[in-house]
Amino acid sequence: MTTLRAFTCDDLFKFNNINLDPLTETYGIPFYLQYLAHWPEYFIVAEAPGGELMGYIMGKAEGSVAREEWHGHVTALSVAPEFRRLGLAAKLMEMLEEISERKGGFFVDLFVRVSNQVAVNMYKQLGYSVYRTVIEYYSASNGEPDEDAYDMRKALSRDTERKSIIPIPHPVRPEDIE
Amino acid sequence: MLRHILVTSNMAARGHVQDPNDRRLRPIYDYLDNGNNKMAIQQADKLLKKHKDLHCAKVLKAIGLQRTGKQDEAFSLAQEVATLEPTDDNSLQALTILYREMHRPELVTKLYEAAVKKVPLSEEYHSHLFMAYARVGEYKKMQQAGMALYKTVPKNPYYFWSVMSLVMQAISAQDDKLAQTMFLPLAERMVEKMVKEGKIEAEAEVQLYFMILERLGKYVEALDMVRGPLGEKLTSELQSRENKCMMMYQRLQLWPECNALSYKLLLKNPDEWQFYLSYFDSLFHLMDKSWSPPNEEEHCVEGPVQTTVAEAVKFVVDRMEEEDKKDSRPLRGPYMACLELIHRLRQRGCPDEEELGDPLELMLQFFGKFGDKPSCITDLKIYLHLLPPEQHTQFKNRLGDLVPLGEVGEDGFGFPGDTKVLQRHLCVCQLSRVLGLQHTLDTEGKLCLITELKAHYHYGLQFGKSCLKTELQFSDTYCLMVAHVYIDLWTETGDENMLWQCLGVLEEGLSYSPSNAQFKLLLLLLFCRLGAFQPVVDLYSSLDAKHVQHDTIGYLLTRYAGSLGQFAAASQSYNFSLRFFHSNQKDTSEYIIQAYKYGAFEKIPEFIAFRTRLNQSLHFAQVRTERMLLDLYTEADITSSLEESVKAMGLCPEEDDIPWDNMRDNRDLTVLFSWDPKDRELTEEHRRLSLEEESVWLKVRSLTLRLLASLALLGHAPSPRNSDKTNENGVSAKSSTLQTLLSQLDLTLQTAAQITEKQTQYPFLGPPSSRLASALSSGSCHCQASALQLSLTLQELETTGLDDSSELQTQICNSFKSLIVQLQELLSRCKGEVLEMKDSRLMTQPSLLETLVFFVETVCVVLWVASYSASVLRPLKSSLQKKKKKTKDSSTAMPVVLSGFQEWTGSLQGIVTQALDHVKGQEASLTALKLAALTLGVGHAQTQEECGFTRAAMDKVQTSYLGSLQELGDLLRKRADSLKSLKF
Repeated sequence: MTTLRAFTCDDLFKFNNINLDPLTETYGIPFYLQYLAHWPEYFIVAEAPGGELMGYIMGKAEGSVAREEWHGHVTALSVAPEFRRLGLAAKLMEMLEEISERKGGFFVDLFVRVSNQVAVNMYKQLGYSVYRTVIEYYSASNGEPDEDAYDMRKALSRDTERKSIIPIPHPVRPEDIE
Repeated sequence: MLRHILVTSNMAARGHVQDPNDRRLRPIYDYLDNGNNKMAIQQADKLLKKHKDLHCAKVLKAIGLQRTGKQDEAFSLAQEVATLEPTDDNSLQALTILYREMHRPELVTKLYEAAVKKVPLSEEYHSHLFMAYARVGEYKKMQQAGMALYKTVPKNPYYFWSVMSLVMQAISAQDDKLAQTMFLPLAERMVEKMVKEGKIEAEAEVQLYFMILERLGKYVEALDMVRGPLGEKLTSELQSRENKCMMMYQRLQLWPECNALSYKLLLKNPDEWQFYLSYFDSLFHLMDKSWSPPNEEEHCVEGPVQTTVAEAVKFVVDRMEEEDKKDSRPLRGPYMACLELIHRLRQRGCPDEEELGDPLELMLQFFGKFGDKPSCITDLKIYLHLLPPEQHTQFKNRLGDLVPLGEVGEDGFGFPGDTKVLQRHLCVCQLSRVLGLQHTLDTEGKLCLITELKAHYHYGLQFGKSCLKTELQFSDTYCLMVAHVYIDLWTETGDENMLWQCLGVLEEGLSYSPSNAQFKLLLLLLFCRLGAFQPVVDLYSSLDAKHVQHDTIGYLLTRYAGSLGQFAAASQSYNFSLRFFHSNQKDTSEYIIQAYKYGAFEKIPEFIAFRTRLNQSLHFAQVRTERMLLDLYTEADITSSLEESVKAMGLCPEEDDIPWDNMRDNRDLTVLFSWDPKDRELTEEHRRLSLEEESVWLKVRSLTLRLLASLALLGHAPSPRNSDKTNENGVSAKSSTLQTLLSQLDLTLQTAAQITEKQTQYPFLGPPSSRLASALSSGSCHCQASALQLSLTLQELETTGLDDSSELQTQICNSFKSLIVQLQELLSRCKGEVLEMKDSRLMTQPSLLETLVFFVETVCVVLWVASYSASVLRPLKSSLQKKKKKTKDSSTAMPVVLSGFQEWTGSLQGIVTQALDHVKGQEASLTALKLAALTLGVGHAQTQEECGFTRAAMDKVQTSYLGSLQELGDLLRKRADSLKSLKF
């Protein structure tokens, strides 16, 4: 029981209960505006009947069609602690996948901290698998390398042979990913 | 960043053949990109010696100069190139970057206007011109530039840029009539033309068409468009067409269509709350109109319409049954819808609600299904009013029956066996708090409740042993609730032990759950209320609040840092916020342009409104003002003179840049969780009063700041360039500004007095009170106002001279004396122990600290006035002495004002010394306090561990008080030094 709608600038003033989570990054305004300007359909927020923001997903479409790399990307997905265990993240992911399907993407991908077991398991349940490990993808606020990421993928219907998700055995560095 | 200009311009203009100039410029670009501005300048100079006409090198040099702080040089160099009206890409783009760094985006428009004139067929320059206009919001010129672009290169996006610029003219028009009769109809016709010619290509174009029709109120046309072939282009957003249709049905009050569409969408997704609301809304509208379907075939274009309560009841009951049947996780929507329907039927006095069942049973059923979700409380809270008060206890008990706790142990409590039961038990606790059942307990009852909740908290920790430090503990909420009950006890009984224990329990909670933001926020608030700012700095930084959060929750820091005498921390927290606000203007302009590029037209007004909202932020105006005041208090007449400080800040007393009538309160005042009953919750009225209070306080502060600026310029020695006459005018203009500001301050203080009379109490977890009340009651505002008033009188004396001014002189001397009395009173209000042990209890009086800060601020103001007085009296005295020498007359007595001034500076010295002694005394008694000697845990048993956390919290408070006193003492000492220069 949720209202799902497009994320707007005014929501930035109301998302503290979601963003005060230690694993949810609060980005600079340009970052949000860039997504809103370029991929507004991919930025969806869930609102509770009382008006509280429950969670949001932020994503984009990118990659070369010719090389069969055109895909949906999950940039951020976060649900406030009090609205967890309702299947909201799954619902938001489903929407992002549907949008990516419509755009003719081959797959959807995302990066997640290897230590974030809760998230990794959730994505696995939603049909995602680890495509590769990206070494020192995350950095701490002082700029020091902090942690590795899994690049997880799920094939969309356009990728009939599910070629896009065949795992790469060797870890890569952040500068090697596109 | 600069280098890519070179690369792209190469590729665009000349393919792969490299221009020799590019090769020459490359090292300069590289130096600039690497931050080596000096080398860039040198390299540019070298290049310019050989190739005088390589304009771009000049611009790059200018960028280097700009970045090394030589703005004037940079500007004149740039203008040299600009007047030549360059048309090479490198120069144009480098100038664009330079102007942007100079915050002169309007100059970019001039640049491309010239370029377009010289190269009228360049798509690139036309498009740059459009974007340059967009950056400064020149909508009319954008419209023309867009059309010119389209005529040069007939691509659809260019045409629609022009259309959108018309819409922006409509939105920004002062006169709505102009928007409705000129701009929007013109925009509409432009789109219609493309529609007729079959030239509509992109989804963005349809979106824009819809936007125009909507703004014109042409909902029927908008609806037809969305339903028609153009609507088929609306594919990016999920349910885009349905959502737009729904919006139009509501605007047009087409309730049958609204109802049928909601019904359809709910069948598809029975969890979409907004459609339940539109379903019920439309249903009742239809009932009110006794609407009946026109024929048996089809009710309306959207399908079958429901018009009776019976149908709605059946619909909701069916949805619930569907959920009951499901194997997978049930959705909350249908069950909540059932409660919502009861609520609405009851509002209408409709007896049919009984068919849905008893709300109490329904809520129990809801709890049975969703009680193990943390959101259960948030959901049920909305409908608790459906229960009559006499059912509350019964409800709580029946809920309790649904929570299977283990066997009761020695302590009298039974505990949950797993996290699901734990969450249910928690929910019952939360509900009983929301129902007010915790608040009605007496002190003993509340203490028992605390013991029970603590036991549950500690027991529940075992379920989270494997939790990562980024995860919350399952039982954290118990801990937070314990803190809330402690706060209840503290505010009701005034027993400070409750507060100390509260701090202890929260610190303990944080040790098990180091990322719990709620613990941090509440600790932060409590430390602030206790007047201890030091621990707050780390707590806030561990929240990792950034960017927009500086606006929404930054107030938690900035409200207290300065007012508690932690000036260094205050300065830092103002800077965090200011950095964010200042980048806003530039950042948003960039994305407005992006929105044009990507055709996200509906986002353009949204971005502009967002930018305005930040610019008009209350918090922005507050930190802007406080930052400057703080700089004056801590630096003016210490590191540099008041006048220099004021000039360095670019402060102009006549200018008021605060948007008083459009102030936006962006504070997140519900960031702290609360399960208080409705009558104790934050209301809209609270919000209004808090904003009113903060605004008046801001007005006092901003007027004080402008008055200080005015005072600084009053003391400004006449510059030799100006003729005598203008000087005179200048001075009188300055004093009239001072006069005007003083009367404004006077009026504001009257309003302030009215506001503080109301003694508004906000919920504890709501907005903090402003400093207004304590500022007024301390007497500091009035003392500062009288000091500033005195400067006016002195100014009068300056023009009159010492002869024939005995009345004026007496008046001034009286003011001197009165200021001493006022300061003395203010200082006496600071006396007392900020922290003391009484009967093995630790007591605080944080208000003493706040008053001391007001005292110090006031001393600063008075001393600036004293320094101005000296500057007025000194020349009068020396001309008197000259006269005396001439007449060899040594018998005449010293004029009253001169002796009065000497006496005054002596008394000021005395007061500052007293204050310093007081601070020293406080420091000494604080240091002598041996908190370890306190016996904790007397009465209501705290465990050894809890006592440890409480002690740690006490230590933090003690250290913080000492820190505040040290900073205040340091500042007072520096002020005392400045007193010496007043002697003559």
